[in-house]
Amino acid sequence: MSTTDFLVFYGCVLAVILACRCVPLLALKGRELSPRVSEALGLIPPAAFAALVANDLFDPSVGLSWQPLLAAALVVVVARRTGSLIWCALTGMAAYAALMLAL
Amino acid sequence: MHDASLRSDLAAALPEALPVMLGYVAIGIPCGVMAAEVGLSPAVAFLVSATFYSGAGQFMMASLALAGTPVASMVASVALVSTRQLLYSAALSRYAERAPRPLAALFAATVTDESFGVNMGRFVADESWTVRRATAVNVASMLSWAAANALGAAVGPALAIPTAIMSFAMTSIFVCLLVGQSWTRVNVVVVVASVTAVVALKALGAGSLAVLLGALLGVAAGLVAGALERGSRHEHD
Repeated sequence: MSTTDFLVFYGCVLAVILACRCVPLLALKGRELSPRVSEALGLIPPAAFAALVANDLFDPSVGLSWQPLLAAALVVVVARRTGSLIWCALTGMAAYAALMLAL
Repeated sequence: MHDASLRSDLAAALPEALPVMLGYVAIGIPCGVMAAEVGLSPAVAFLVSATFYSGAGQFMMASLALAGTPVASMVASVALVSTRQLLYSAALSRYAERAPRPLAALFAATVTDESFGVNMGRFVADESWTVRRATAVNVASMLSWAAANALGAAVGPALAIPTAIMSFAMTSIFVCLLVGQSWTRVNVVVVVASVTAVVALKALGAGSLAVLLGALLGVAAGLVAGALERGSRHEHD
């Protein structure tokens, strides 16, 4: 990639990223929102995390494979018991690595 | 007074940021290795990581550049991955009501999937959680991400870290954040609808848009479930 190509790519992507991150917050900040809009905003966290988990665990080229699913199930147990992000991340990586080696 | 307040904000924010920072170090190093393969120096890798601050976007950037993809297609692909930030930004707006505009802008500009989850959890559970503390979580996480990318770019392929295993740290963090949600009937509908939609959309080839569209469909399903629940409550009354 040439320097010019990189600068064009960098400038365009940075503009889109900053717009996606800043515009809704700055536009909605301090406004009186209708109850339905507030309700929809409150549903974003579970929707987003469910979508991210599904996106990580399902690869259309291989379908659902059991190692990441089993590792994720172990993380669910750790999350329920500890609620700790660190323990979940360490357990997830260790379980996934062990299951991949066991294959 | 100002220093004491800053210290207390950092003391509150850093323990919250630590798991995300460690996860970013684990996944940032292989991302920096890929950046070096595209030809980015450690300094440029740091700058790109600190400003893009997007794991999915940066991995995609490197793999598309290595494949010789035209710049316009690269811009479109990486930009699409970032569209889910629209949802986070909207969801966080209610907590930034009283924040000065420059601080609100810095806070918004440094949100990621993981820091969104950590800060949402704190905003909901802790009335003393402020946009200053949330921004400290974001910036600390961002610095760890950018430093790990620069380190990866400096050492290059000499540091052969299996990316799939490292990136499972992020998946695990998402699982933990999902488990920590309140499991009301409406939220169960949201989760089932989002998961089903993402799997279907990816199977249909939606690629980068699957997360945004899947989450939007989940929110829509949750609104319908909430309306039905209110309707049946009125009937019983």
